[in-house]
Amino acid sequence: MSHDHNTEDITTLYEGDQSKLYSGVLNHHKDINSEESKKQVKRIIKIMIYLAIVTSLEVTLGLWDHHMGVFNKGLLNAIFLIMTLLKAYLIVDVFMHLGNEIRNFVMAVLIPLVFLIWAIVAFSAEGHHWLHMNNTRANTIEYKSN
Amino acid sequence: MAQATTAISNPSEAKTLKWGGGHSPFNLSYGKIMMWFFLVTDAFTFGAFLISYGSKRYFTNVWPDPNLVFSGAPLMGHTPLPLVFVSIMTFILILSSVTMVMAVHAGHYMDRAKVTKWLIFTIIGGILFLSCQTWEWTELHGEGAWWGSFLDPTNVSLASLQHFFKPSVAASMTFAQATEATTSFFNFFFTITGFHGMHVLSGVCLLCVALINTVNGTYERRGHYEMIEKIGLYWHFVDLVWVFVFTCFYLI
Repeated sequence: MSHDHNTEDITTLYEGDQSKLYSGVLNHHKDINSEESKKQVKRIIKIMIYLAIVTSLEVTLGLWDHHMGVFNKGLLNAIFLIMTLLKAYLIVDVFMHLGNEIRNFVMAVLIPLVFLIWAIVAFSAEGHHWLHMNNTRANTIEYKSN
Repeated sequence: MAQATTAISNPSEAKTLKWGGGHSPFNLSYGKIMMWFFLVTDAFTFGAFLISYGSKRYFTNVWPDPNLVFSGAPLMGHTPLPLVFVSIMTFILILSSVTMVMAVHAGHYMDRAKVTKWLIFTIIGGILFLSCQTWEWTELHGEGAWWGSFLDPTNVSLASLQHFFKPSVAASMTFAQATEATTSFFNFFFTITGFHGMHVLSGVCLLCVALINTVNGTYERRGHYEMIEKIGLYWHFVDLVWVFVFTCFYLI
């Protein structure tokens, strides 16, 4: 649970506007110069610096590879992928406040995306197989039926 | 799990475990939940685009080198500067995401002046990003790249496509391979960055509406700045998609 929400008895506060419950009446933020507020701003700045560092690293690796060509391309792509997922995690967790939502909601958002993992595996394999078929002319072999 | 076991062993207690209504089980308002679910569907759309791009790339023997395709930067003439300009674009979008989250933060504290300030910065960031993209598209269009270009053999020669490829690849590829790869590459590039650019443009429009409402005090009278949070979610998603587009098109 987070500083964004709380779970007091709220039925008495309901005035036909749900947003009023969850983002208005119930938020206990009062003073933007309070310690709590400053802590949150510091956290945002920290994430911004992380994102900048990871992006700079990606660009450095990319340029290094372009000019020197010293890397194993597969390994390099794996590193890029991990860095991308790290940046995605930071943005979703902190900037989009998903880390502050309750667990059931986090799961409702993230679990459907698991389908994409299978799609990536399946379509990469398909493309690979397709290329093999095309290059070996396997698709033009005529089968005789007896 | 413990609750479920109790419910089965003691049915009379199970009634007290039921959701009583009156509040959202997700502890979120309808609007915010629906914005999240819309973003999930949008993630599938972009996912499908990027996966089909990857699949096509696997299927093709040769592929243009992004470091050679995107090597320009404004005011730098013909100096090859791979990754420089797109890094600037990435930093602009990350910074606009930061200013957006600052606006959401100020909204939590009902601080109208600060929300206004940060929204203006975010809109400027969005417009800067779109301007960069316009420059890049214009530059590529100037080299003959567009949807479906490089298909007509009477206009295109192998030599005219070789500068998009690594020299080792360019030396041994056939004309058919070069046209197919170049055409596919640019079709996907313009479609995906165009679709993303449309998202940024819609985001800028939404932010302008939010800015007008903020300045007019609409959200203050409403008692909450949740609209800023919802548009913020959308804006961060657009930044998130760019993180993946950057990796897929410019790095890998």
